[in-house]
Amino acid sequence: MLGRTLRRHSEPVPADFTERMLRQARELDEKRIVSRVIWQGRSALAGTILLGAAAIVGIVALPGRIGALLSSIGMGFTGRGGALIDRFPQAVGVVRNEWQLYAVLAVLLAFAVFCLLDLLVGDRVRMA
Amino acid sequence: MVDGMWEQHGEDNRLRLLCSGDHEAFSWFVDKYKETVFLCCRRLGLREDEVEDVASETFMAAYKGLSRYSGRSELSTWLWSIAYRKGIDCLRRNRRERQLEDEQENEIAAGRENGPTVVTDGRETEQVVWEAVERLPRLWRVAVVLHYREEKAIADIAKIMDTRENTVKTYLFRGRQKLREMLSEALGEDCNAGK
Repeated sequence: MLGRTLRRHSEPVPADFTERMLRQARELDEKRIVSRVIWQGRSALAGTILLGAAAIVGIVALPGRIGALLSSIGMGFTGRGGALIDRFPQAVGVVRNEWQLYAVLAVLLAFAVFCLLDLLVGDRVRMA
Repeated sequence: MVDGMWEQHGEDNRLRLLCSGDHEAFSWFVDKYKETVFLCCRRLGLREDEVEDVASETFMAAYKGLSRYSGRSELSTWLWSIAYRKGIDCLRRNRRERQLEDEQENEIAAGRENGPTVVTDGRETEQVVWEAVERLPRLWRVAVVLHYREEKAIADIAKIMDTRENTVKTYLFRGRQKLREMLSEALGEDCNAGK
């Protein structure tokens, strides 16, 4: 008897409740999109500033090391593949000796690449 | 049978759309469960102005969390647990003013001791039963409504109310006992509330 009686009862609900909820859901979605765009802009800006600052600090504080690093990277890209393979153990040795500097540079580079990718294709990835 | 399969297919499809944030599916979801959520909020003893706020909060929390809904429990059970949690939070937030209200209500209730009046004026039995349910203590009332109206299993009720199954059984047992007392007086017959 209790179950039957309770099931017959219908609970009063404001007439426009569904519309209001739908409006709130749309507003929430808009807020999410706006905050995503803001975050994307901020991360891109932070990446640019950090990488720029690191480059400036590197050039001012460690001109020799940065020069050597850039020239070794440049050598790698200018068709000296064979020489690079020959010198691979030597390069490993250099990285091992200066691993703190290379680690910082690797993190900065990864962050810059992430920011760049996010800026270019982030939206498409998120939409998918 | 075939109709049932199509219905199930439609439901699954809607659920999939709902979890992906589709607005039309969300509208269907609100339409389907709004009565349940209002029922939960009112049975928790929230004030009418709080009921609507908590119901809105519940649906928005569900909208945000739908992408994480695992489907392990029924959608209605999941929604009930959100509504229950939000309702209890609201009660805790306004504890001080509610204490005053409860004291006033107890004074009024003391004046009309022993629940619903005897049915002599042709009132619907349903109304009398609801009046009796409303007079139960808050947690017994929620457990009774969940079990008898929403047809939830003890385990589901325990999950919703975040308590042990034995506690739910106690709520139901005591609630039934109290209802039987109140209804036998009001309806003038031996009401077996449990059946």
